[in-house]
Amino acid sequence: MVEEVRDDLKYTESHEWLKVEGKKAKVGITDHAQSELTDIVFVELPAVGKEIKKGEELCIVESVKSVSEIYSPVSGKILEVNKKLEDAPEMINQNPYDDGWLIEMEIEDKNEIDKLLDPESYRKSI
Amino acid sequence: MVQRSPLHEIHKGLGAKFTEFAGFEMPIQYSSIKDEHLTVRKKVGLFDVSHMSNVWITGIDAEKLISLATVEDASRIGNGKSQYTEILREDGTIIDDTIFMHLDDKYMMIPNAGMASTATDWLNEKAEEYNLCAKAENFSKDYVILAIQGPKSRDTLQKLTDFDIGTVKFFGCQYIDIADTDCIISHTGYTGELGFELQITPSKTAKDVFDKILEAGKEFGIKPIGLGARDTLRLEKCFILAGNEFESGRTPLEALLGWTVNWDHDFIGKKAILKQKEKGDFQRLTYLECIEKGIPRHGCKVKKDGKDVGIVSSGTLSPCLNKGIAMAYVHPDFREKDSTLDILIRNNPVKAKIVKPPFVKKDWAEEN
Repeated sequence: MVEEVRDDLKYTESHEWLKVEGKKAKVGITDHAQSELTDIVFVELPAVGKEIKKGEELCIVESVKSVSEIYSPVSGKILEVNKKLEDAPEMINQNPYDDGWLIEMEIEDKNEIDKLLDPESYRKSI
Repeated sequence: MVQRSPLHEIHKGLGAKFTEFAGFEMPIQYSSIKDEHLTVRKKVGLFDVSHMSNVWITGIDAEKLISLATVEDASRIGNGKSQYTEILREDGTIIDDTIFMHLDDKYMMIPNAGMASTATDWLNEKAEEYNLCAKAENFSKDYVILAIQGPKSRDTLQKLTDFDIGTVKFFGCQYIDIADTDCIISHTGYTGELGFELQITPSKTAKDVFDKILEAGKEFGIKPIGLGARDTLRLEKCFILAGNEFESGRTPLEALLGWTVNWDHDFIGKKAILKQKEKGDFQRLTYLECIEKGIPRHGCKVKKDGKDVGIVSSGTLSPCLNKGIAMAYVHPDFREKDSTLDILIRNNPVKAKIVKPPFVKKDWAEEN
């Protein structure tokens, strides 16, 4: 099975993706991550408005067997969370880069984005 | 060193993901835990459970040794019968839970993964201490153990033998030829479904049996099943798991296994659990179904009105019920059926209701 790595995203070594749209960015987990976790059955999302630092715990994703912490790729403020995941966490498995996004945040420091992995480096790391 | 099943390469070929469990690298899943779980509930699944142990107990006092070292009176268990029981320490706590099979003049015991030497040594020490002419020998490396579980398990196996599998009674065991291979079959399992377990030696012959069972079960939708689904299947049926339910010295009474104790004979640990029974003030296993969103896990605290009243020993999301379920050790004053308790998940209290076991009833597959 080939795991998708999209060319328009930035990545972390801990398998989160970041989609930058101006000052805002969406965050999710990669196709590789969802494939490793399989059967995502529960997502605990952060509160809107919460300030979070790069590398801090952003949310919790649970599969049948495991609890995984998802870390914030950059620092910033949570603007929106994907409420649909509360009733349909399997969307992360089905569509990790689109419907399965986790949160949208306001980026505090754009310089942090440069330190993330580009698609080629991420592809090599998995 | 991590041990592997003789079927390791077959599992790899089937796309298994592996996990380490009690010193063994075994498949945790092939497709997905949910999918494998529902396959066993509705159709049939094939498990390699070679991480479990095989101990032969022989000698003229073999029956006496088992009666002494387990809570069962082995004289009740006739030839061709299996029995689920526990081995206790003198203080009444569980060393291991196990099944033993009475096969002619000897017994095969199936201790848990990683428990082969502990059980073998314990049995031999007790034989010596009590002057019994009996010997326990660890043959775990010589056996592959397969479990065929699910409503179509009997139909699958029947295609591979001339022997009428319908005559093997629940908890019956015997020698049998399946897929042109000598096996021991027992009508037992860990899923709560119709099911059988096969002990196969020499282990190299098992590859062929494994492949033939998968082939025979194709028409019924058979799939190979990993340890992930094995755990969720047993938890929905409230079967205990070594390591989770008796990791820190629990007695059969605490684990609600009083029904397995045969009080009419003397056995190691009897005095201690009799005393506990009289006192009555001990935590007992309790079955909790979440009524709020959340998945309880091993080690979560259980609270009532903010006060600690117990601890979760096993928890998961039930693939059949799509709810969080848990087995927890709870103080006797807070175990009333239908009352609610809070399970603390990452510091958030999640409400759960005390229910009667099992979480998933026998007719679930027919109704769903």
